[in-house]
Amino acid sequence: MSNIESLVKAVTEGDETAAVQAAQVVVDEKIPVGAVIDALTGGMREIGEQFARMEIFLPEMMESAHVMKAVLKVLEPAMKEQSAFSEKKGIVVLATVEGDMHEIGKDIVMNLLEVHGFEVHDMGINVNALDIVNEAVKVGANIIGVSALMTTTMPQQRDLIEILKAKGLRDQFHVIFGGAPVTSEWVEESGADSWGENAAVAVKILENVTKEK
Amino acid sequence: MYKLWEFLERAHTGPFCENDEFTFKIFMPKVKEVVKKYNIKFDPNNPVPSDDDLADRVWKAAVELFLEVGVLNVDTHRRIMVSESELKEALYHYPGRFMVGQGSDVRLWENRHPEETKAPFCIFSPDITYDEELMLPSSIAYVQEPLADGVCGPILEESIGMKIKSGAPSEMSGVLQHAMTLRQACRMVGRPGMFMVAVGTAQSDTGQIAVSNEEWGVRTSDARLIGALTEFRIDNELMNKIAHLKQYGGHIGCLSGSIYGGYAGRAEGAAVLEVAYHLVGLTIYQGTFNNSFPFHLHYTSNSGREMLWLVSIKHQAISRNSRYLSTSNGFLNAGPGTEMVLYEAAAHGLASTVSGGHLWEAAPTHNKFRNYATPVEARMACEVGHAVAMQGMTRVKANEIVNKLLAKYENNIADAPKGKSFQECYNVKTVKPETWYLDMFKKVKDEVAEMGVEFPY
Repeated sequence: MSNIESLVKAVTEGDETAAVQAAQVVVDEKIPVGAVIDALTGGMREIGEQFARMEIFLPEMMESAHVMKAVLKVLEPAMKEQSAFSEKKGIVVLATVEGDMHEIGKDIVMNLLEVHGFEVHDMGINVNALDIVNEAVKVGANIIGVSALMTTTMPQQRDLIEILKAKGLRDQFHVIFGGAPVTSEWVEESGADSWGENAAVAVKILENVTKEK
Repeated sequence: MYKLWEFLERAHTGPFCENDEFTFKIFMPKVKEVVKKYNIKFDPNNPVPSDDDLADRVWKAAVELFLEVGVLNVDTHRRIMVSESELKEALYHYPGRFMVGQGSDVRLWENRHPEETKAPFCIFSPDITYDEELMLPSSIAYVQEPLADGVCGPILEESIGMKIKSGAPSEMSGVLQHAMTLRQACRMVGRPGMFMVAVGTAQSDTGQIAVSNEEWGVRTSDARLIGALTEFRIDNELMNKIAHLKQYGGHIGCLSGSIYGGYAGRAEGAAVLEVAYHLVGLTIYQGTFNNSFPFHLHYTSNSGREMLWLVSIKHQAISRNSRYLSTSNGFLNAGPGTEMVLYEAAAHGLASTVSGGHLWEAAPTHNKFRNYATPVEARMACEVGHAVAMQGMTRVKANEIVNKLLAKYENNIADAPKGKSFQECYNVKTVKPETWYLDMFKKVKDEVAEMGVEFPY
C-alpha cells in the first residue's frame, strides 16, 4: 500500500492518529500535495456514497470528516508552498431557521457538501433570517441553505427569501430549502430555487447548479 | 416536584461545554464505550428479543451514559449533571401510576412489564398537520375511537387562513384554535373529560403557556409534550415549559426520539440512548411519562426489523427496571388506505405491548404529508396491543408473529406506498371510515388473527 493509500485509508476509517502520521510522512517525502488532495477527495466522496447507500451512518461520516480536517492542517504548509489549493465548487452558508433547534439534518448536508468540495459556513441552529443573509454577503457565498424541521418554523424560510428580495440580493444566491416537512410545493410557493429532499439530493442539486454557472 | 429548581439551576452552574466538544468528545465516545462494555448486540432474527439479561444490560448502559454525560443546555453551554443517588431517589419516588382525564372519562394509567396481561394505555394521535377545515372532523375521528384512553389531536399549519409561525401572533391564534377544537371534539363525542396531550401546534414556550386553561384549554388532568433536543440537549425555552407545567400542575411527557444512524450509531447505541432519554424525562423534565419515537435516519420510521428490535428492547429495559411510564410512538412507512401500513401498525403495536410499553399510535407515511393519517392505523396497533396483552402472549410467540408480519412489508420500506389522505379514507361529514378501508382493515385483522393473535372482538 502506498503512502497516499495509507493516508486515505486512515481518513476513511476515521483513525486520526494514523491519518496524521501518514500525512506527515507524505509531507516529509515531498509527495506532490495536489495528488494527495485528489486522493483524499476521492476517499471522502466514497464516504458520502457509502452514507447514501446506508453502509455507514452519521458517526462514521463525522469521524472521517473530523480526521480530514486534522490531515488538512498537517498538509497546509505544503499546500501553500506548492499552491495546491483545490478550487471550491461553491461557497455555502447553512443554517437552521430561527425558532428551530434541529441540527442533525443540517449537519449531514454540511458534511456531505464538504466532502464533495464545497466551502461551507455553518451558522448553527435557531438563526435569524437577516443574520443568514448578512453572513452570506460577508463570506461571498453563492448558495444559502436553510433547514426547518417544524411546520411552524417553515415560514422563516420564506422570510429569508423576502429579505433577499427587499435588499435587492435575490439573484445573487441559489437558495435551497431542507427539512422533513418541506415539500416541493412549499419551495415553489416561497420562491426558493430548490428542495433538498435529502442530503444526497441536496448535494447533487448544488453540484449541478455550480456546474451550470 | 422532585428537585425541580436544583436541576434547572444546574443549567447555569454545571460544567461548561461547547457543542462540538459535547457531541464528539463526550457523547459519541461514551455511547460507543457502553455498547461495547455491556455487550449489546442487535440480532436481526429476533426483532422481539426475549433475553432478560440483554434488557438489563441496556438499562445499565443507559444509566451510565446518562450519569456521565449529562444533558447540555445549548443556551448556557452548561451540562446538567445528575448523580447516581439522585437518580435512584427519583426512581424510588416516582409513583408508577396516575389518574388522568376527568369525570367519567378518567383513566388509571399504570406501569406494565414484559408479557403483562394488563392492557396498554392507548393514546391515539396522527402526529401530523391537517388542513384547517379538517381540524374538527379529524379530531372527532380520533376522539371517538373506543380504545382511546387519551388523544393527541391533529396539528394546525394555518389559523384563520394565516400560516402559523412559531413565536409570532399567528401561533397564539393557532394554539387556541387547536386546544378549543380538540376540547370541542371531546365534548361532541361525549367524552368531555378525555385525557388530552396537547397542543402540538405550540412550538414556543409562550404558545404552550397560552393554552393552560381549565375551562376551554389544556387542564391539569391533561398532558403536554416537551421535546428533547438531538442528542441529549435542552434549551431555556424547553426549561420554561417544564417550569410552567410543574407550577400549573399538568402532566409532562418528555418527547424523545433517538435516531438510528445518528450520533448514537445503529440499533444498539440508539436503544441505549432512548432508554437514557427516559432517565432525562424522569429527572430533568420531571415527567409523568416519555413518548418515545426512535426512528431510522433515512426512513423516519420505526417499523423496520432493526427498529422493532430497538423498540422492543428499550421497553423491556425500562419496564423491567423501573415503574416509569413510556408510550411507544409508531412511525410507519406506508400511508393510510394501504395493507402495508396496517401490517406495520400491527407489528409495532405487538412488539411494543409484549415488551411492557404503552401505545401512542400512529404516524404513517414517514410522518411527512399533511392529512396523511387516520385513526384506522392506530386502531389496528391498539387492537393488536389489547389482544396480545389479554392473552398474555410471550415474547417468543410475539417474535414469531412479528417475523411473519415483517415478511409482508420489509422489502417495500424504501418504496412504501403513500396511500390516501384522511378525506379520501373517511367520509368527512359523518366522520366514518369508508367501507373499502374497513374491509381492508378486516382482511388484515383476520390475517393477523390467523398468525395467533386472539382478538376479543
